Amino acid sequence: MDDAAIELEKLSHTYDKDPVLKHLDLRIEHGEIFGFLGHNGAGKTTAINILTTLLVPTGGTAKVCGHDVVTARRAVTRSIGYLPAEVRMYGHLTALENLEFLATLSDVKKPRHAAKETLDFLGCSDLANRRLATFSTGMRQRIGIAQAIVHRPDVLLLDEPTAGLDPLGVRQLRETILQLNQELGMTIFMNTHLLSEVAKVCTSIGVLNHGELIYKDTIEATTRRFPDEASLEDIYVTMGGAP
Amino acid sequence: MVLLVILVVVTAASVYIATAGYASKLADYDAYRAAAQASGLDRIAPSPMAPLSLLRGGLEYLEIIGAVIAIALGYLSIARERANRTIALLQSRPVTGGERALGSFLGALAVFATLVTATALVGILSIGLIAQDWISPSEGFQLLLAYLAALLYLGAFYCLGAITTARARASANGLVVSLAIWLLVVLVLPQIGDTLDADNQLPGGLFQALTLDRDGETSVMAHFTGYEKTRTLIEDTSFAKHFERFAFAMTDVKDRYRPFTLGQLLRETRTDIIWLLSATVALFLGLRRTYKHTPSTGGNS
Repeated sequence: MDDAAIELEKLSHTYDKDPVLKHLDLRIEHGEIFGFLGHNGAGKTTAINILTTLLVPTGGTAKVCGHDVVTARRAVTRSIGYLPAEVRMYGHLTALENLEFLATLSDVKKPRHAAKETLDFLGCSDLANRRLATFSTGMRQRIGIAQAIVHRPDVLLLDEPTAGLDPLGVRQLRETILQLNQELGMTIFMNTHLLSEVAKVCTSIGVLNHGELIYKDTIEATTRRFPDEASLEDIYVTMGGAP
Repeated sequence: MVLLVILVVVTAASVYIATAGYASKLADYDAYRAAAQASGLDRIAPSPMAPLSLLRGGLEYLEIIGAVIAIALGYLSIARERANRTIALLQSRPVTGGERALGSFLGALAVFATLVTATALVGILSIGLIAQDWISPSEGFQLLLAYLAALLYLGAFYCLGAITTARARASANGLVVSLAIWLLVVLVLPQIGDTLDADNQLPGGLFQALTLDRDGETSVMAHFTGYEKTRTLIEDTSFAKHFERFAFAMTDVKDRYRPFTLGQLLRETRTDIIWLLSATVALFLGLRRTYKHTPSTGGNS
């Protein structure tokens, strides 16, 4: 069997004896846009922190593109791009300088060229020479995505990417996600609360409830399985995704 | 930048103060030499002047203020990453904690190299312009060694500032711990050592007051070996003292080192070199370990 983009087996994590993830099994194939749903405290961010190697799981395994997050940390971090819930970069540097620095850390051979190319790809070359400290939330989010893809990762991990964005920003983000998936072939793993966005961009969803994966399927199969529900929000409530 | 300017200004000021009378003594010696040569003397007394010793104040500022600057830089390197919450961004890249520690350390050394080069240049120019005595290439090499030691010394304090800040829950607490260690290592321990030095018990020196030469001093101190060992041990625990000893030896601050060749100087100060290197390496390894174990995430799910 080929390596999945993301593969979790019996993944568990405990904070001070408090289990946050409980034996999570999940397989996400290359090219998917996966929406990870769950209430606050369900364990979504913990899962992303493990996938980004920021946290070492207390049990089970997690693999990205076949690389174990604990034993092959460097290979994993080469394969992923990460957009945290709150985009924090170096405010005293320009967008281009930030991207160049982060591209260098990601072993990109021509970091400045890659940084410019990424800004062009996202249509925000006009922000290149402005200091990040002067950016609005929406602009920061775009540069946040730029830093996550500057090294052209296979898998993009987005933690609550729509947080703090206005409706126009949410729409732009949705278009960007689709563009990254379709044009660059990136697999996208997205933690989110916005069910409407999940329905518009995701190819599959998973629902996490108190650290347990209670549902995982494609969007089409999900709507077929719950024909009586008017929206994904209703389906989410029906399957117990609400706290 | 502000701290750099302050350090450069105080170095220039210290050289200016130290040169009071230096230029006239140098002129006297030059006049003596010219007269001796004119009268056909074949043995002329070597110059008693030690231009590098004029940098004593500058080196002491590096030892005291420079260490505080280094601690501040170490503190800021962690506190800013922490406040900006950019650590997660770095840790999700294919770089190890050890590589980040090395990068941070080398970056700090680059800043210190600027600082040290600026103070060295100001010192050399001040000696030349104010004291009217330009240092020779061999003196320049000794000065280079002294300032290389200063780089190591500042690097050690940078690591200390970064380690204590990273290990403290609140960054400010780490800074306070660093400054407490600085106080102990740079001011208290050397001061205790100096205060306990028998020769420092009278202004101008106890042994000089007793009209004892070096051999006489040695024979007197032979009766106080336990006392001297304790005093030396206290001083030895301060790597600031080792830096000072090495730097002062290289810059002719201590009279007894002046007739020594460079090889003899290095032999005489090898213990100080080993202490300084060991302290810097140990603190860097501590920094490396700290970077490897710095948590980037909180307890939120």
